[in-house]
Amino acid sequence: MLSVRDLVTAYGKIEALKGVSLEVAPGSITCLLGPNGAGKTTLMMTIAGVLRPKRGSVRFLDEDLAGLAPDAIVKRGIALVPENRLGFPSMSVLENLQAGAYQRRDPIEEDIERIFRRFPPLKARSAQQAGTLSGGEQQMLAVGRALMSRPKLLLMDEPSLGLAPLVVEEIFRTVAELHRDGTTIFLVEQNAHMALKVAQHFFLMEQGRVSFSGDPGSLAEDEVIRRAYLGSSR
Amino acid sequence: MLALGFTLIFGVLRRANLAYGPAIMFGAYAATWTSMNFQAGLLILAVVTIAAAVLAGAYVERLCFAPHRKGPAAAAMVASFALWMQFEELATLALPNHLYAFPALYEGGPLELGRFTVRIDALLILLATVVVCGLLWWILYRTRFGVAVRAVIDDPKAAGLAGIGVPRVFMLVFALASAIGGLAGFLIAGSQEQVTPMLGMWSTLKGMVAMMLGGLGSLPGAVAGGLALGLIEAHAGWFLGPQLRDFLVYLLLFVLLALRPPWMNTRSVS
Repeated sequence: MLSVRDLVTAYGKIEALKGVSLEVAPGSITCLLGPNGAGKTTLMMTIAGVLRPKRGSVRFLDEDLAGLAPDAIVKRGIALVPENRLGFPSMSVLENLQAGAYQRRDPIEEDIERIFRRFPPLKARSAQQAGTLSGGEQQMLAVGRALMSRPKLLLMDEPSLGLAPLVVEEIFRTVAELHRDGTTIFLVEQNAHMALKVAQHFFLMEQGRVSFSGDPGSLAEDEVIRRAYLGSSR
Repeated sequence: MLALGFTLIFGVLRRANLAYGPAIMFGAYAATWTSMNFQAGLLILAVVTIAAAVLAGAYVERLCFAPHRKGPAAAAMVASFALWMQFEELATLALPNHLYAFPALYEGGPLELGRFTVRIDALLILLATVVVCGLLWWILYRTRFGVAVRAVIDDPKAAGLAGIGVPRVFMLVFALASAIGGLAGFLIAGSQEQVTPMLGMWSTLKGMVAMMLGGLGSLPGAVAGGLALGLIEAHAGWFLGPQLRDFLVYLLLFVLLALRPPWMNTRSVS
């Protein structure tokens, strides 16, 4: 469904992605693991169009996305739940969801209802300013906002970052539910244990390159965790 | 009203547009030229002013702000300063005299209310400001476009990821701010019954000071700041005389920049 080929993204002269290639199969949960600074967020931002790649291609449903603006990429069916739950803190919860549906021209009330059913705390706070929500609620809102565009592929960048264990479990339950409902998910995670439980396939990234690709059973979990946190070179 | 347009641009782009006033002056000159060469009613002149101001505003956006969206804020500001000069030159080339008459907003005498006399045109301006404020509030808080504008104000990156075409929102906000500025320019020229090339600098200055008085980037603050500035000027004019009045605006700007009162750090437009 998503096919990344030899992708190079640079900040000035420093290449954060040094030729990344990977595939995300339709209907799968695919996970990307790796230590800090490996380029995981850079990869997500490049796929979503926030960063422009220097070389390489991002193909999605047989169309090259490299170089398109973020809104054009949302239009083609990819939504990113960004790292740190980036959102619109001065706007209400409801308006945040409406903003997520900006591309759509059809009625969105049903989608809002569905998201409120999935995340009841959001319904209770629908008129409240998003900036006043707890970390877990903001993560729910970030996921809900991304779902409002009805994406075919949902990118999630460290959705469990800084959240309490119970909330993390809830987020992963949501990931599994979304997957069951037919959304393809490409997930960046630090929490390797949780990620390997839900994923069908995973990639390890180190220093701007993919260093391993396999099924969750193909590498001992402690080895994955060691390499995801520390990298294999150290 | 000047402050509203200036604040709208500042709040959304986080960039000061020095060419804001000169674009308004360009609009007022276009209307003056129209009234000198054709028989045109006030309504047509208002439309000409607004249309020309929007056109000039779009030109400023394309040339100064679209290319410097990601660069330092000073780059766009300096570029807008260059266009300021351009607009002034253009205006003085097209209409070389320093001063031109502008049709009066209202020809009749003032309204007598007991001991008070109220100028009808001042009343008209107040009314127009209230209407524009209401309309702007409605656009920002009750429309899809308003949600997009406020999203861009909160976080342009997150807005892009939500599927909002950020460059397009910038362009439309610029057009909207220029239209408000154009209307303000028309009302000012009409109540003073004259236009000079100074209208440009005057508008930028008043817009900026009123915005600073009310808090950077806050729209209700811009209205409050505009009213406060008006009151201060009226009192200064009464007590100190008209020469010192304009001096006081500069003094106010200086004091605001030197003291930087806490409300000037506010960020949100809401």
